[in-house]
Amino acid sequence: MSTIRLENLVKRFGPFTALKTMDLTIADGEFVALLGPSGCGKSTTMNMIAGMEQPSEGRILFGARDMAGVAMGQRGVGFVFQNYAIFTHMTVRQNLAYGLKATRRPAEEVARRVGSMAELLQLTPMLDRPAAGLSVNILQRVAIGRSAVMEPAIFLLDEPLSNVDAAFRAVMRTELKQLQRTFKQTMVYVTHDQLEAMTMADRIAVMDHGVLQQVGTPLQIYNDPANLFVSRFIGSPGMNLLQGRPVETPAGMAVDLGPLGLTPPLTPPQAVAVRAAKGEVIYGFRPEQAALVPEGQGMAMPVNFVERIGARTILHLGQGSDVAKVVFENDAGFETGKMLHFAPHAAAVRLFDAATGTALKGH
Amino acid sequence: MAEIAFRNVTKRYKDILAVDDASFTVADNEFFCFFGPPLSGKSTILWLILGLEKPDSGEILIDGKVVNGVSPAARNIAMVFQNLALFPHMTAADNVRFPLVERHEAPAKIEARLKDAAEKLHITHILHKMPGQLSGGERQRVAIARALVRDPAAYLMDDPISALDARLREETRVELKRIQREAGRTLIYVTHDQEEAMSVADRMAILEHGAIRQVGSPVEIYDHPATTYVARFLGSPVMNILPANRIDGGFEVASGAIRFDAPEGMVGVAELGLRPEDLRVSAFAGVGQPATVSEVEPLGGYTVVTLKSGTQPLRALLRGQPDMRVGAQVALGCDPARVIYFGENGQALPRPLAKPLGGGTQ
Repeated sequence: MSTIRLENLVKRFGPFTALKTMDLTIADGEFVALLGPSGCGKSTTMNMIAGMEQPSEGRILFGARDMAGVAMGQRGVGFVFQNYAIFTHMTVRQNLAYGLKATRRPAEEVARRVGSMAELLQLTPMLDRPAAGLSVNILQRVAIGRSAVMEPAIFLLDEPLSNVDAAFRAVMRTELKQLQRTFKQTMVYVTHDQLEAMTMADRIAVMDHGVLQQVGTPLQIYNDPANLFVSRFIGSPGMNLLQGRPVETPAGMAVDLGPLGLTPPLTPPQAVAVRAAKGEVIYGFRPEQAALVPEGQGMAMPVNFVERIGARTILHLGQGSDVAKVVFENDAGFETGKMLHFAPHAAAVRLFDAATGTALKGH
Repeated sequence: MAEIAFRNVTKRYKDILAVDDASFTVADNEFFCFFGPPLSGKSTILWLILGLEKPDSGEILIDGKVVNGVSPAARNIAMVFQNLALFPHMTAADNVRFPLVERHEAPAKIEARLKDAAEKLHITHILHKMPGQLSGGERQRVAIARALVRDPAAYLMDDPISALDARLREETRVELKRIQREAGRTLIYVTHDQEEAMSVADRMAILEHGAIRQVGSPVEIYDHPATTYVARFLGSPVMNILPANRIDGGFEVASGAIRFDAPEGMVGVAELGLRPEDLRVSAFAGVGQPATVSEVEPLGGYTVVTLKSGTQPLRALLRGQPDMRVGAQVALGCDPARVIYFGENGQALPRPLAKPLGGGTQ
């Protein structure tokens, strides 16, 4: 069984605590992304799973086996790092075959496995090219192939796509997912790119400042962020967050957004959640989860800036500086300076305690 | 103020053709973006404008005057490099003052320029700090402020915000666009990030192997790509470009999952281009040729669905979080007016109006 269990895992470097009490279970064959900004503890966690770093406290189990004292080479994991380490004096084929030959597999098996891996990663046409002359994109593909061809039960990848260009990154996202479906490894993937995590992972573990913030499927994390950090970090653009005060209106509970002069209403479950909060709240909604409404209804904000990006138009809204963004399709003729009348989808509104930043459950 | 133009400019490095017979005109006050894959000639074009490289042939013009023989300093163009190159031993303020001090400007003028640039870039509160104490985003702003105070005829920027993280890039690109509008200067910009290019550019040039393949506003290029290369290069997910099969009165793609009426006289069509957001995916009602869902990628606000019908995969970009299951059969359709026709040589053909033709086109 290739489950990975992290129990009360702590890592300190001198006085600095890089990871604070991490608990996480990764199922056999699951693809989990460790996602967060630089310094959040994601690579430290990965390095401990790999055996490159020893935990200060807590333990790591592969299946039922405690990994304490088990050397890196004995853990049976495959790695790929941001800086691929390819043997440049060898051909692509020799690089792919290297690990299999080192473990003395029969020549027929080596040829078969290298061939099918090359096919999967579209390396077949360049198998006999020397690695030295290949582009960064292709080298990273070779690095992934060289590790994957060993068919490790656990596959660890640390920002493997951060050096490749954007177009190639999209292709590689699909290939990595196919690879994982084919070999059904337990995959742990470290990234700071929320798009990579969203598109590939079965579950995402969002981290910040050495603390695990939330674990869930991509849509759970997108739809129900546990706190303000997660709400901002996930999504492109991130969630709109407006501070306000809960108020009773004749139509029911609402949030008075103060200087914005807006008082958006709340659904009954949201009202219950808001009443439980003591002070001010943050009224949150996703830029994609809003609709245009007739003047006099919903919210009105001037359009500060119109960004059309391919299929989408991002409208930056607010008086003077931006306070919110909404995303629409392209055909609506938006103009800078005009008032936009819009309303967030009622059920998609998310509320947070302004003091603690924690989500108020009310939907 | 500066209009910058190339007339048939070619630049070779030994046997590599870095810039291939490039002609373009960047208008005064325009935000103009060069966009292309690595080694497509973007940075070489900037060097040529700056005067750090000389063209092998052709003319470079600033405000209508040929400047091939003019020194970089006399061209009065400010450059912001990819690696920010702030002086580490100087405060942010001294870094911004530097180009003016070097030109022996009057102290009162230097301070006024510094104040103005610092306000525009929201760095007034960090001017006393050393570069080492600043975040990547702050250093970026200081570097841009340093370029701004020079009051040059034009600014060149070579992938200036690529070092920032994704969220900060989203914010900074909008700031850059605002600053350029306020400063009222020509800005020539190189990036490898297509979102950024589409966001900031008034017009852009798409490069391939040193040659300019298309020039236009981001919307023009996105909606009317001139070639399959340009069509594939701009847009995410990538445009579906599919072999076109002639059927009676029209075309079909994806083994008949999508069919169109074509106007009479529509000849020489080899491939059809369909943007992922223009594909319609609906429940299969048993009529026509279905497609099979082979991949679902939820992005939150959108969902990318990969579909198979026949051999070639198609991608659709759907709004929201539709309930799509891998393996499900669906009907495909699209707005025929949004289809791009390409000829044998990959060039876009004039687009006729087409009507849907029964089958799976709803």
